[in-house]
Amino acid sequence: MINFDNAATTFPKPAAVRRAVSVAMRKFGGNSGRGGHELAMLTSAALYSARETAAEFFGAQPENVIFTMNCTHALNMAIKGIMADGGHMIISSMEHNSSARPAAALALKNKISLSAAEVFPENERTVESFRSLIRKDTKAVVCTIAGNVTGQLLPFREIGQLCREHGICFIADGAQACGIIDVKMSDGINILCTSGHKGLYGITGTGMLITDGKFPITPIIQGGTGSGSLSLFQPDILPDSLESGTPNIIGAMSVKAGIEFVRSIGTDKIFRHESALCQKFITLIEKNDDIIVYRSPSAEYVPIVSFNIRGMPSEKTAALLADKGFCLRAGFHCAALAHASLGTENGTVRYAPSVFSTENDTVSLVLQLTKLKNY
Amino acid sequence: MTFLTAEMPSYTYAVKGEKLLRSGGCECMIARKEKTSSESCGYLLKISGKCRDALKILDRYAVPYKVISDGGA
Repeated sequence: MINFDNAATTFPKPAAVRRAVSVAMRKFGGNSGRGGHELAMLTSAALYSARETAAEFFGAQPENVIFTMNCTHALNMAIKGIMADGGHMIISSMEHNSSARPAAALALKNKISLSAAEVFPENERTVESFRSLIRKDTKAVVCTIAGNVTGQLLPFREIGQLCREHGICFIADGAQACGIIDVKMSDGINILCTSGHKGLYGITGTGMLITDGKFPITPIIQGGTGSGSLSLFQPDILPDSLESGTPNIIGAMSVKAGIEFVRSIGTDKIFRHESALCQKFITLIEKNDDIIVYRSPSAEYVPIVSFNIRGMPSEKTAALLADKGFCLRAGFHCAALAHASLGTENGTVRYAPSVFSTENDTVSLVLQLTKLKNY
Repeated sequence: MTFLTAEMPSYTYAVKGEKLLRSGGCECMIARKEKTSSESCGYLLKISGKCRDALKILDRYAVPYKVISDGGA
């Protein structure tokens, strides 16, 4: 089995991540921030160290790192928390449903007004698209750093700058970018939402919301935090205000190990390796007129390639490849807006390598694809 | 000997304060509140040794705290 579905979740995980999970299972069995006994204190210290690692990696303060279930969870917290009192919000036309659905849900109930900025291959046009939609009551911009369908890299630093000029909260979705390109809060990001289990190589069920603290986030979940226990009101300090209930401590330790793994290699090197595989893949399949690649020469991409065999539904292509042991995701990738923009009525097949993917496996995939077009 | 005890709003701030103070040369340790206060259970930062700058360090990094016993630090 050869996995090229790493944009959904990376697999395999690094040995260091597997070890960290095993250690956490054996040593950090207490609850964090709740209790003063040795097990609780050991566990609390471990979770704090995971916050520190993430904070250092993204250029944030440890207390501003909120562990979540996944990126969707983080985006829901950010969108609903920032827009709690209404206002206007702008999302991009490349958003995953993790942003688009909570935004649409608020708009459908008339709690917010919502605009979608068209994304173009050219960065200047995309930035202008966002600029043209800004209103006096625009409170937040939600934008993916890299689209999950084609991997198009959006001009997030320029959009961050635009938001800063207008005092707008910039919520960035880093699910397809974190661990692959260097993302820092100083890039103009006010709230960074990311998964922990993709480019950061943690286990599934992990994500993070990281804030610079400039825009208070109203919690959408209230509960036990280990602090202010006698008050019926949610604490207003971070991370407690946004982290009710027992956190996924084992997951957080896996994310810490994953970030350390990424840092030991370097995002530049990871990006170059995976991009080289994408380039090899494209070069080989573009020789074939029956294969469509969804890329523009004017745009920049993270290491993801969306493609189709002409005349064959994407799901059929992926199913035939799966029969040969290749794992690729087909369909609409939980991204209605992006597929609508691309005009891909039958979805696409997505090639998404990881740091562990090889050129040999990529060539084998292309050989299988060449055989499939005859079906 | 503890010179100053600060009540911290959460474990996260207790450990952040502890790390900042130690890097500033102040000896300190985190302890669980021995007696439940009117507000809640929680954590203390017990600062030992003469460290006159302890509170300044916490203030500089915006670490919230409440001094509950001041032994002259």
